[in-house]
Amino acid sequence: MGNFGQLMDGFAIALTTQHVMIMVLGVLLGLVVGVLPGLGAPNGVSLLLPLTFTMDPISAIILLTSMYWGALFGGSTTSILFNIPGEPSSVATTFDGHPMAKQGEAVRALTLAFTSAGIGALVGVLVITLLSSWVANFALRFGSPEYFAVYFMAFASFIGMAGSSPFKTLVSIMLGFAVATVGMDTISGEGRLTFGLGELSNGISFLIVVIGLFGIGELLLTIDEGYKFEGVKAKLKLSTIFRTLAEMPRYWVTIVRSALIGCWMGITPGGPTAASFMSYALGRRFSRRGKYFGKGEPEGIVAPETADHSAGSCALLPMLALGVPGSATAAVMMGGLMIWGLNPGPMLFSTRPDFVWGLIASMYAGNLIAVVLVLATVPLFAFILRAPFTVVGPLIAIICVIGAYTVANHMFDIWLALIFGIVGYAFKKLDYPLAPFVLAVVLGDKAEDAFRQSMLSSGGSLNIFFETPLVATMMAIGFLLLLLPFIGRLFGALLGKGNAAEARDGRPA
Amino acid sequence: MNISRNAMEVATALVTALVGALICYGAMENGIGWTESGPKPGYFPFGIGCLIVAGSVATLVQVGWKSMAARPAGEADSLVPFIDGQGLRTLAAFFLPIAVMTAISFWLGLYIGMALYIFYAMRFAAGFRIHNALLTAIIVVAVNFVVFEKLFMVPLLKGPILEYFGIY
Repeated sequence: MGNFGQLMDGFAIALTTQHVMIMVLGVLLGLVVGVLPGLGAPNGVSLLLPLTFTMDPISAIILLTSMYWGALFGGSTTSILFNIPGEPSSVATTFDGHPMAKQGEAVRALTLAFTSAGIGALVGVLVITLLSSWVANFALRFGSPEYFAVYFMAFASFIGMAGSSPFKTLVSIMLGFAVATVGMDTISGEGRLTFGLGELSNGISFLIVVIGLFGIGELLLTIDEGYKFEGVKAKLKLSTIFRTLAEMPRYWVTIVRSALIGCWMGITPGGPTAASFMSYALGRRFSRRGKYFGKGEPEGIVAPETADHSAGSCALLPMLALGVPGSATAAVMMGGLMIWGLNPGPMLFSTRPDFVWGLIASMYAGNLIAVVLVLATVPLFAFILRAPFTVVGPLIAIICVIGAYTVANHMFDIWLALIFGIVGYAFKKLDYPLAPFVLAVVLGDKAEDAFRQSMLSSGGSLNIFFETPLVATMMAIGFLLLLLPFIGRLFGALLGKGNAAEARDGRPA
Repeated sequence: MNISRNAMEVATALVTALVGALICYGAMENGIGWTESGPKPGYFPFGIGCLIVAGSVATLVQVGWKSMAARPAGEADSLVPFIDGQGLRTLAAFFLPIAVMTAISFWLGLYIGMALYIFYAMRFAAGFRIHNALLTAIIVVAVNFVVFEKLFMVPLLKGPILEYFGIY
């Protein structure tokens, strides 16, 4: 229990008045950033990073991580109230969170989301506390084939568990990968798929894709469906909050399952987005009320939120212990660590234990502060909900347009976002899943690098993905998931044929 | 002008197939083969392009299959509308001003584009009175200016008019 003593020292560092103030400030900034689509956590953290250079590293990292928690919570707020995910990782929360809010239970949906998010985050931090020194040894065994297998599993689960056509899911994923390959190739330095357009040589940011597909696409869909933001009475009643809190223990199976998925996906670089979707898909499969998912089912909110936040916090574990960030935001923070003169990796635990354990202790406190603050700001967002859509729509459109611009200060990005908006509208209406698209854009480079590095080390033989028991098991699970719809259809067809044959035989000749 | 869902399914699958083919073509410029040091940069994108084409074709087949199956049963499935003329007009009325705003912003900067767009949307779509629409536009620009230029220090595109007045 050496870690426990160090954690107590960490609390002594994190719970000074100054650091608690920094946490409150960070969470509030994060909420703003998380609520605005386009100003996501990675983006917000990078905007804030230059301001921290003069601070001492512990205060700086507490500010940035608190902002991260705030952004994660803020993303869920807009998912539920507006059906616009502030973050790619909160997309899965829209599936059940928004329908529940539309049914007039906005406060219940928000409370469910925030408490399960809080539980998920605390589980994640607990995992970091217990495992941080041990996990370094395990994950050191991960080579590029294992990384590729992890990505493969994530995408195979999309195809296998998709509600719609597996071919549409395939097209969606591959289009995402294609978007990710645009621009400079990380290995050879060549420009790819730019078709001579200079604007494309820096690649297409996943933020542009998200703003287009989810922001603008969703706006168009809302216009098309003629749905107006109705005056949902989301009055923050304490009794509703407490009743929902009392409801939570009922979902313990979902919480445990989702937290496990989240921790696994956060530590391996699947990230919070993959974790929330996988948890939602598995929740739909295994829950007794799975067929009600998508219509405002509580477990459909609990599952992605718990996984999202446990993955979000666990994503910091490999960053600290190995120097391999588990998410985009963690990558930005890692850049910060190096600017502050710290060297992320196993050595950090022995050279700057005050930093590591101060940070870990601040995660407990920061998440508790975030839950309280996010509940306190709900009336503000509920107020916005009362405005008619003809007023709110253009304002959201402005936020999307400016958000697209601020990603890289390129006007061209706005056009791209508008194009992705039309794509998002058409795809959504034709039941092409959008989430795997975004995930593929985010993970595309990493998946390709893992694939190419494995190919380099094996000399072009695919056998490398089946050489060790670890990687072979992961690949086998992946293939099983991939074939799931075909196996299902085969059985269905056989049974269907049987029925048809019976009917024909039964008919008088 | 009504567009049926089937027509849209086919059109979308054709477009994605075309994009897939375009990606294959683009990847070939980087080389899709192997060298001593492993796959060429186009190897991975080429595979992706092929999978997109394959997925699109499979979707086309699936759509065709379904409408063939539905035809004897009263053609109900093939006539489900994707969007009708009225819906298309509403959609265009929302989307085109955003595109126009982007085009104007290219030229006059984001703040002016934003102001004109908000004024237009509040006056004509939301039915505000002229001075209320004007007020809303000013508030939106002011809030954005403070948030981006002052709080986050992310300068937005100003354009020639604001620069003339010394606002960079």
